[in-house]
Amino acid sequence: MKIKSILIANRGEIAVRVIQTAKIMGISTWVIKTSKEPYAYYLSEADNIIDFTEQLADIPEFLDIENIIKAAKEHNIDAIHPGYGFLAESPVFASRCAEEGLVFIGPSSDAIYRMGNKTIAKQLAREHKVPLLEGSQGNIETPEEALKMAKKIGFPVILKAASGGGGRGMRIVEYEKDVQKMFKMASSEAEKAFGDPSVFIEKYVRNPRHIEFQVFGDKHGNIIHLGERECSVQRKHQKLLEESPSAALTPELRERMGKAAINIAKSVNYYSAGTVEFLLDEKSDFYFMEMNTRIQVEHPVTEMVTGLDLIEWQILVAQDEVLPLKQKDVKINGWAIEYRINAEDVQAGFSPSLGSVEKISYPRSKNIRIDSGVVQGSLITPYFDSMIAKLIVHGETREKAISYSANALKKLWIKGLKTTIPFCKAVLANKNFRKGKYDTSFLTSEMKTTYFVDPDEEMLAAFFATYDFVRELDSEEKRVVDFDKGKNMAPWVLKKRLRSL
Amino acid sequence: MNSQNGKTTKDKFIACTPSNKKFEVSNPLSEKVKVKGKKLDLRVIEDPEGFSYIIYKNKKYQVDILEKNQNKYTVTINGVWYSFTIETPISYKRRKTLSKNGSSSKIEVINAPMPGKILDVMVEENSEIKQGEPLFILEAMKMQNEIVSNVSGRITKVNIKQNDSVMKDDVMLEIEKS
Repeated sequence: MKIKSILIANRGEIAVRVIQTAKIMGISTWVIKTSKEPYAYYLSEADNIIDFTEQLADIPEFLDIENIIKAAKEHNIDAIHPGYGFLAESPVFASRCAEEGLVFIGPSSDAIYRMGNKTIAKQLAREHKVPLLEGSQGNIETPEEALKMAKKIGFPVILKAASGGGGRGMRIVEYEKDVQKMFKMASSEAEKAFGDPSVFIEKYVRNPRHIEFQVFGDKHGNIIHLGERECSVQRKHQKLLEESPSAALTPELRERMGKAAINIAKSVNYYSAGTVEFLLDEKSDFYFMEMNTRIQVEHPVTEMVTGLDLIEWQILVAQDEVLPLKQKDVKINGWAIEYRINAEDVQAGFSPSLGSVEKISYPRSKNIRIDSGVVQGSLITPYFDSMIAKLIVHGETREKAISYSANALKKLWIKGLKTTIPFCKAVLANKNFRKGKYDTSFLTSEMKTTYFVDPDEEMLAAFFATYDFVRELDSEEKRVVDFDKGKNMAPWVLKKRLRSL
Repeated sequence: MNSQNGKTTKDKFIACTPSNKKFEVSNPLSEKVKVKGKKLDLRVIEDPEGFSYIIYKNKKYQVDILEKNQNKYTVTINGVWYSFTIETPISYKRRKTLSKNGSSSKIEVINAPMPGKILDVMVEENSEIKQGEPLFILEAMKMQNEIVSNVSGRITKVNIKQNDSVMKDDVMLEIEKS
C-alpha cells in the first residue's frame, strides 16, 4: 500500500525532518498545533494543521493516544509517524494504530513491547548468545546471597537500588571482602531514599564507551545494520555529541558487534529503524544494554556516512517494501559528527535557558547539515526539551571532520539565548577527544571546563559592555527633553539631566 | 548643557565583574580606547543582518548584549557570557564606601530561575549553607536542575516543599549572608 498522507505526532526538529522527506516522496503532511507553541516553526512547514489548542485534556497533546488516532481518522490520514519520544516506544500506540487501520511508521507493537521490557530484552540477548552484563535476575535479600552472586559474576560489581536512579543507593565493589559491608550500606541508602531496601547486583564496567548500532529491517525478514554511532560524550546520560563511525572499532570488531545487533533485532522479527546499544570496555569486550525501537535524535550522522535517508526507509518499510540495500551494499564514507545545540547555560551547570531566538546565523557548506525546529523569533518554552538545533559536519577523515567542525561552530550563532555551542568547542579543543580516546567519563574526568574561552574574551566583553553603556548615555543626551517621557525615565538618567541643566 | 562636564564623564569607566574584578575602560567610543591602561587596536562591526562583531588582533568575535538593566550588563562573546556593572570612577567610589558601611542587603533572595516542579528541597529553615551547596532540585524542560547557593549563610525562610509547582521568579528561599 502506498502511503499518501502522514500525521506527524511530534513537534520540533524531528517533525520538520519527517516533513522534508515526505515532501520529496510526494506525501502530504499533517501536524498537530498545541496551545503551548501555537506559532512553532514545524507548523509552517507542514501541508495541513490539526488544531489541538482547544483541547483541555489532562494528558499532554503528544501523549494523548486516543485523541491523535481520532484526529487521524477524522481527516482520513493513511499513516502516523511518531518521531522519537514517548509515542514511538509505546506498544499500545502501535497496536491501537493497527486496530484502527492506520499505518504506524515504526516496528511492530510486539517488538516494541519485548525490547521495552528490560527483563525480556536481556533474556532474548542471552538466548541469542549476545554478551550482556550478567547480574542477579531478581533482588538480593541477604549479604551472604550478595557475596555468592558477586563471586559468580566476577569483580568489579555494582549494587543498585531496585527502585532507584540518580546514583543514590549505588555502590561499586572491587573486592570480595567489601561485598557484605557495601550491601548493607546500599540497602539502607535505598531504604532511606526510595522507601525500598531491595538491591540487585550487576557486573560493573569501568568507564565504558557507549556504542550503538543502527539496524534496519523490513517485513520480509531482511535485517541489516548501517554501522555504529559513538555516543560517549554524555552528561548525566544525556548525549551531547555523536559521531559515526567510532574511533574505537576495528573492522573485525564492527563486524562482530553488527552481527550481535542484527541477532537482537532478529529475535523479535524487527522491522523499521532500530538502535541496539552496547557498552564497550577497555579490552574491547562489548555488552548489550538495550534496543531503542525508533528513529534516534542522532540518526543524521549515519545518514551522512551512508548517504541514505532513514526516514524514507521507514516509510518504504511501512509500505511493505523490501529494504533497498543488502548488507554487502552498505558503504561507510568518511566521518560525521553531530553537535546538539541546546538552549542551556553551560556556565551554570547546563540549566535551561529560556527566551526567544533573536537571530540565527548558520554556517553554510555542502558538508554541513543543520536540522532545526526553530527560526528567528521562535520561543524556547519550558514545556519541551531544550534542543534547538543539531549541527552535523562531514569530512573525509575524522581529523577533517573535526577541523571543519571547529570552523562551523565558530560561525554558528543563535542570538538571544545561552546555548551549548561553547561546550561543543571545548570538546573539540580537548586533546584526547581529538585522538579519539574517550569514554562516558569524558565530561567529568577529562574536561577541566565545560566551555571554551579565548583568553582575551573577558577583557573584550568588559569593553563592549562599556561601549554600549556610553553609547546609550550619548543618545540619551542628544534627545530633546520630553516631560511626559520624563515620568518613565530611569532615575539616574533624570538625575544626570537635572544636574546638567 | 555643560559640555565639559559631559566630556569628563565619558572619558573613564570601570566595568566590574560580580567577583569584583575591575576593568578600567577609557574612551570606549573613540579609536584611542584603552582597557586597563593598555591601548587596544579593535573595531566594532555591525553587519546589515543585525549581528555585531569585534575585530581584535585579526580575530573576529561574536558579541551581543544578552541583558541590560540600567548599568548592569550581561554580554556574550563567542557564546560565553560575562556580567558587569558599569561605573564611573565617582559612582564606583560611592558604591565601595556603601558596601564597606554594610548598608547593602544581607538577605539573599533565591528566585525560581524558570517555571517547573520542585522535586526535592535539601535545606530547611535555620540550616547553614555554603556557597556551591545544593538548595533544591527543580524539574523543568524534562531535566532535573540542581539549584546551588551562590552565597554562604543561614537559611531564614523556605517557601517551597516537595512537589510544589513554581512560576519563574517566585521566591523560593531567603538566605542571610554570613
